[in-house]
Amino acid sequence: MRTSTREKTGFIIKFIILVIFAITCIYPLIWLVLNSFKTNDQLFENPWGLPKSFDIKNYIVAITEGNIGTYFINSVIIAVSAVLVTVVLSSMASYAISRMEWKYSKVMLNVFLLGMMIPVYATIIPLFSIFNRIGILNTHLSVIIPHIAFGFPMAIFILTGFFQTIPRDIEEAAVMDGCSIFRIFFRIIMPISKPSVVTVAVVVFIGVWNDLLMPQIFLTDATKMTLPVGLNSFKGMYSTDYVSMIAAVVLTVIPSVIIYIVLHKNIMEGMVAGAVKG
Amino acid sequence: MNKIFGNKKNIALFVLPAFIIYFIFALVPIAYNFYISLFQTDLMSPGKFVGFQNYVNLFKDGTFLKALKNNVFMVIGSLIAHLPVALFLGNILFQKIKGSHFFQTVFFLPSVICGVAVGMIWTFVYNSEFGLLNRILEVIGLGDLQQVWLSNKEIALFCIIIVVMWQFVGYHMVIQLAAMKNIPDSLYEAAKIDGASKWVQFRSITFPLIKHILKIDAVLIITGSLKYYDLVAVMTGGGPNHSTELMSTYMYYQGFRTLKYGYSAAIGVILLLLCVCAVWLSNRIFKSEPIEY
Repeated sequence: MRTSTREKTGFIIKFIILVIFAITCIYPLIWLVLNSFKTNDQLFENPWGLPKSFDIKNYIVAITEGNIGTYFINSVIIAVSAVLVTVVLSSMASYAISRMEWKYSKVMLNVFLLGMMIPVYATIIPLFSIFNRIGILNTHLSVIIPHIAFGFPMAIFILTGFFQTIPRDIEEAAVMDGCSIFRIFFRIIMPISKPSVVTVAVVVFIGVWNDLLMPQIFLTDATKMTLPVGLNSFKGMYSTDYVSMIAAVVLTVIPSVIIYIVLHKNIMEGMVAGAVKG
Repeated sequence: MNKIFGNKKNIALFVLPAFIIYFIFALVPIAYNFYISLFQTDLMSPGKFVGFQNYVNLFKDGTFLKALKNNVFMVIGSLIAHLPVALFLGNILFQKIKGSHFFQTVFFLPSVICGVAVGMIWTFVYNSEFGLLNRILEVIGLGDLQQVWLSNKEIALFCIIIVVMWQFVGYHMVIQLAAMKNIPDSLYEAAKIDGASKWVQFRSITFPLIKHILKIDAVLIITGSLKYYDLVAVMTGGGPNHSTELMSTYMYYQGFRTLKYGYSAAIGVILLLLCVCAVWLSNRIFKSEPIEY
């Protein structure tokens, strides 16, 4: 069986390629975690090796002097509020679009989906001007609102896709029992749509958590900044204290990595579905 | 049924909250942005109407043209990494290799990590004193290739494009892999019986049947490359000497550093037009015919 040996070598080569690429994906993260426990001198002497001890001093510096703690809390507040509002309002809109009977539902869907094409850059300056005028510039609201508005297209795309697959009988039975539309929606539809809702929630969360542009523009007060902006300014302020910077990066990345480990199925599905709208 | 599901008040209650927010904070700003781009303004006073002068100036502005050119390089680099390379990796994983799910999860990971953090991670990789890249070159005996990577204006942009490739290869691979998984197994079984090699199977079954997704993916890659911001903002800030400037970073610079809001808004309009053009052109060129397996 000559082909089988050939196939075997082919297989081994492919496997090696995969392993190498997997290492390039993970190794930088491991490198960060390891070096976050070193001192600056150790980093220069020995950037490859293991740290001598697992000293959390750098994390303490990052949190106390670098304000990473404050940034972290701000990021959580902004991301969680944006996720909650986006999920609730986009589910309701998707429900009306996909399950209720009205003439313009299709048009409405297309108007929302159009938003997937819009780069935020085309709205940043007007938003800055509007927020300035209504006096919410430099508040968390100024970052939360545009994230909600730009979260809708993807969220509605995923949710309408799911709602269309729910059998009509469930709602019919509920109507027979005299349920109101709100009861049907919140008590029946939302619970059975949990996987899609979770997908929308994590994809929105990751987008907001990682965003640099909007907080950088709409927030000017250091006490209101989010992690990405904080990291960016940390880099300027302590540009020689590399190890504390590394600790700060680790603290920023950890939440997304944990969420990814737990919900990677939803995240992949959501990010890919939102992308491939055909 | 109709009484509840056709009730105008219910429909409005469900759809309007989202629509109003979306309308005011996503659609209106686009029109308003175009309006601002016709002015010379600091946003506080009414400003001076200048017509299309901002656009005319943009196309005479060497830095903007540089940024536009850099964006084009970004598009080309991303297309190379995210179509052939992602397709290659995806095709390997498609062949039911052991740990396929694990690899897929790992490859996708960089795309969920904050761009600022990715930028900083790679700043450490490129660091000229303790960075991984220079150390690796030293270890494998190519020490004279060592560089101050991100401060060298000849190669800084290239260094950043490498990071973009690294960060999003897995993302595009998963998109393409999802399309491959929709192809019925029976086609491959038939091909195996006919003795078709793996390459022939890829060329005559996989590739033609995922072509429509590749086209969509190409649009995504192009519009995505026009929108990169974080990596450049963190790694080089557009420098050295504007050599890594992108339209997005230049827009930020003009708007929020030199406070030329009208000028900056014009860059926003051009970015929007380019994105719309990419989508529209691809729809025109590749009228995607529905496929049947």
